[in-house]
Amino acid sequence: MNFKRDIPVRTYSGFALSALLVLTILTILLQSSVEKIERAGDKLLGINAQEGVANAVTSVVVYFRGFDTLGEIAVLFIAALGIGLMVSSHKSAQRHKEESNFILQTASKLLFPFITLFGVYVMIYGHLSPGGGFQGGVIIASGVLLLLISYQNFEVPHALITALETLAGISYVLIGLLGLWILDHFLGNFLPSDISDMGMLISGGIIPLIYIIVGVKVGSEMSMIVQNLIQRSDDE
Amino acid sequence: MMSSLLDWFIQPDVITAIVAFGSMGLFFVGLFGLLTQRHLIKIFISISLMEAAVFLYFLGTIFHRELTAPILGDGHTAFTGMNDPIPHAMILTAIVIGMALFALGVSFAIEYYKLTGRTDINKMKEMGE
Repeated sequence: MNFKRDIPVRTYSGFALSALLVLTILTILLQSSVEKIERAGDKLLGINAQEGVANAVTSVVVYFRGFDTLGEIAVLFIAALGIGLMVSSHKSAQRHKEESNFILQTASKLLFPFITLFGVYVMIYGHLSPGGGFQGGVIIASGVLLLLISYQNFEVPHALITALETLAGISYVLIGLLGLWILDHFLGNFLPSDISDMGMLISGGIIPLIYIIVGVKVGSEMSMIVQNLIQRSDDE
Repeated sequence: MMSSLLDWFIQPDVITAIVAFGSMGLFFVGLFGLLTQRHLIKIFISISLMEAAVFLYFLGTIFHRELTAPILGDGHTAFTGMNDPIPHAMILTAIVIGMALFALGVSFAIEYYKLTGRTDINKMKEMGE
């Protein structure tokens, strides 16, 4: 291990001491008041009982903090944009071809539909069970990664991905603006949502719709990131 | 003997202490790597370790054994006696952002290596002396 010469041992011992201090304060704080804290989550759970969504985490992510989620997928989009821009700045002519073996190709051909199906399932049932748009999108992108690894000539269809991503982003904002128009607040739940439907597939108004949109956007962005990184590592 | 040891471990205070100490240790492992390593990609991996420590700390401290996951189903019909859903949602956001930043940083590092052939941050001259 090569330590940097001009960071003396004293700095490290200082770090260790500060860590000990922080830990001591932390444990004292946690032990004294862990029972008495009134959690904001209890209030949210109370509101959530009128919202008709079985998964409280989903309703926090998509509904109570829906505007944050819009910003979050914007950050993801900017990261994908940065990676894509740097790749296209000097595009390599060819990925040098080394065929992967037959077993991998056949297995990935068999597995890809099931991976996509599972991703879509996780995406659509995000308001009923653990999972949701982000997880489902990443699962679909992992299927694309499998195809990229096993088929050297495979390219993610660029036009399709761009169209999906644009459509998803625009419809997210449009649904938010519709809520603003109908219910006077951004991302208002304007679709009818009945509490007695809780636990059914069609329930919760716009919440499953928005999570599916998030899933499409995350899946397409992650597929582009994966493809750009694979191309990059090939063309050295 | 074994069961009494396990009973001691599942006390809430002990679990909280284990989570706090463990995630703090992981955080300092990441910080150590950030300060001592000079390879660009190792630095990004250290930052990811620190992020993972923060995620573990958040999720571990809100976890209570007697409370259920904040999802209806499996016999639960009311939103009572559940774990706090807010840290779950926050960490979900933070994981996605952290992943995007890690991918962007690694791609910058690869691009830098392809342009200059260097990965050592001590030998970077582009920022000026």
